[in-house]
Amino acid sequence: MKVELQINNSSNASARFVSWAPSPCRVRVIDPTGATSPATKIEITGKSTATGGVVVFRKSDTGAFSKSLSTAVPINGTSVPFFVAGRFGRPSLSNGDVTIEARNAATNVLVGAVRVMVRIRKNANSLTPGERDRFVSAFAQLNNQGAGRFADFRNMHTDVSSPQAHGAPGFLPWHRAYLLDLERELQAIDPSVALPYWRFDEAAPNLFTLDFFGVSNAGTVQFSNTNPLQFWTTDGVQGIIRGPRNNWNPATQPGPTVITEAQTLALGTQYPAFRGMEGNPHGTAHTRWDGYIRQIGTAAKDPLFFLLHCNVDRLWAKWQRLNGRFDPAQAASYDSNPANPIGHNLVDTMWPWNGITGPPRPPTAPGGAMAPSTCVSAPGASPRVRSSLDYQGSIIATSRLGFDYDDVRFA
Amino acid sequence: MTTKKKAAKSSKSTGKSKPGAMRSTRAAMSVATNAHGTVKERVAALAEVPLAVCESDKDLQAVLNVVRNKEEAVEVRLAAMDTLATAAFSVIAFESCRKDYIATLREVAVDPDPQIRESALGLLAGLKDGFAQKKLLDGLKNPDKALVPPEKALQLLSYDVHAESYAVARDIVSNPPSTDARREALRLLAADATSAPLFEKLLRDKDELREVRQISASALHALKPEKLQEHAREMLLDTSEYEDIQATSLTALTQFGDDEAVGKDKVLLNSVDRLSNKAKSARYKKSARQFVSKYAK
Repeated sequence: MKVELQINNSSNASARFVSWAPSPCRVRVIDPTGATSPATKIEITGKSTATGGVVVFRKSDTGAFSKSLSTAVPINGTSVPFFVAGRFGRPSLSNGDVTIEARNAATNVLVGAVRVMVRIRKNANSLTPGERDRFVSAFAQLNNQGAGRFADFRNMHTDVSSPQAHGAPGFLPWHRAYLLDLERELQAIDPSVALPYWRFDEAAPNLFTLDFFGVSNAGTVQFSNTNPLQFWTTDGVQGIIRGPRNNWNPATQPGPTVITEAQTLALGTQYPAFRGMEGNPHGTAHTRWDGYIRQIGTAAKDPLFFLLHCNVDRLWAKWQRLNGRFDPAQAASYDSNPANPIGHNLVDTMWPWNGITGPPRPPTAPGGAMAPSTCVSAPGASPRVRSSLDYQGSIIATSRLGFDYDDVRFA
Repeated sequence: MTTKKKAAKSSKSTGKSKPGAMRSTRAAMSVATNAHGTVKERVAALAEVPLAVCESDKDLQAVLNVVRNKEEAVEVRLAAMDTLATAAFSVIAFESCRKDYIATLREVAVDPDPQIRESALGLLAGLKDGFAQKKLLDGLKNPDKALVPPEKALQLLSYDVHAESYAVARDIVSNPPSTDARREALRLLAADATSAPLFEKLLRDKDELREVRQISASALHALKPEKLQEHAREMLLDTSEYEDIQATSLTALTQFGDDEAVGKDKVLLNSVDRLSNKAKSARYKKSARQFVSKYAK
């Protein structure tokens, strides 16, 4: 007998990525040879390496997770649903470092297996050399000659388009969608990559190195000869202008005057208060530097910008978990002020993914629709502001966006 | 109080105000604009008020005055400029402040203090400000008028490259005032299609600075990627070539090369295989091994 395990309800190998939020899965018999009854009891478990990812299971979309799952599977090919998630604290280190096995419960014979990855956004300072190199390689290829797909992302974040994304409640939802779009494009190059974050309230000795995000020298960033970011180009200009201000060393010191994670989470339990983080720590983290990252119009020319914003998004995610703020219908989860400009109301579609141009939207919409995912269906080609809130599918399972942070639990 | 006196007071600061400490915006603004406060306390307070300047013209003007006031400590003026730069991220609320903000930056772009000038010109250059661009170009053409060092001026001009900048950059490459200025001039010229032959020449010149050769490889990748691939191959076959430049070549081929063509190139694969055994640097050995394992399949 053989069974097929479908991760994220897909037979596609590219869908075999999970996070802390449960992924809907199916198991079905594809070869009933040897089966003697209408249904066979199957034991599903995860097999991990000592340091790699670990998965857990449950039968339905609620209830406790466990290390293994027993279920009866009809031999007529009918699928049986189950859910798999990464065990919090045990993300993968490489693609396919966890194997989900299905065994005949009566004989313990292996009847099906798939390799999956617990793909999680991690602290950039803690990545393994392998994770670091894969991420840097994917990013450099996305930028390719400054003319690759990255050019769209650079052109999405400019002075002209900034009112779509800044200075109003949609700041956090817009940037969440923006990062997700970029991450999916990186994953199209290397599916094992997840966007890491730069904790600007901590020193990052492993991030600001020649082999990773470079070392500033007289205002420009130097890279090692093996680092593909040495070929970084934007707007036709080679390299990255970035230098820490006022004798700050980001490798050994947290960002000066940037408020800490604890202070950020304590800004308030209501979204209107929490979104004050757009000033400090977000804006302050930007302006600790000289160079591209210091201002809206040029910030996206520096790849560090995306790691900075990944941390901003992580802080929002952490605040959401702390205060239960995933439900767009709950007033405290967002700032639904009637005076919000277009693009900042929960029901509004977000530029540029909606393709709308002309006042009050910007004159062009670079990049087209949101990149699709083989793992999840949300947020769709043209996300709305509300699409960004329930990123783990805590309120509606199908709202899950397919990413998680290493230190933000699901439920 | 003079700048020096304030700096001295700063060193004796009790540090009562912790950076980012949660206090009311009013209280923070009061400390930020109090000319009798310590530098440390005021810098910390200024980091707390970027949103306040968007909401109150009085607060905006108070912070702008700190930026403009030559009697203030430089650290406080720089922190005030950072507060405004942070506030500028709240683009909708900041719109009404923008005119005064830019006028102030232009005013202090010619400030007696070099740090103030460089910070203001950095912000203006990011906004593609014509006033700043003219000042930067004038300084490069006539060093007596320079507001910032030439390498910084070139960096800032690269935010919005114009034909006039190319001409100045070419002059600096030919007759550089410093190695830093030459490096920045080359970075700027990477946007100039007519400079591709210059980068080919620099890339292959073994007497050239390695940093310049690395920049030339990157520039060529942007201007004529097929030329970089050709040169990268030749440099990997050249046993007298420097290992670090060979590593850059290897990275170019691995990341951006034609996989099919590279995979069929047995001469190249053999050469890289030798590098994977003989390279002095463990990092380059590893890079060569990864190349061989990728393409020797």
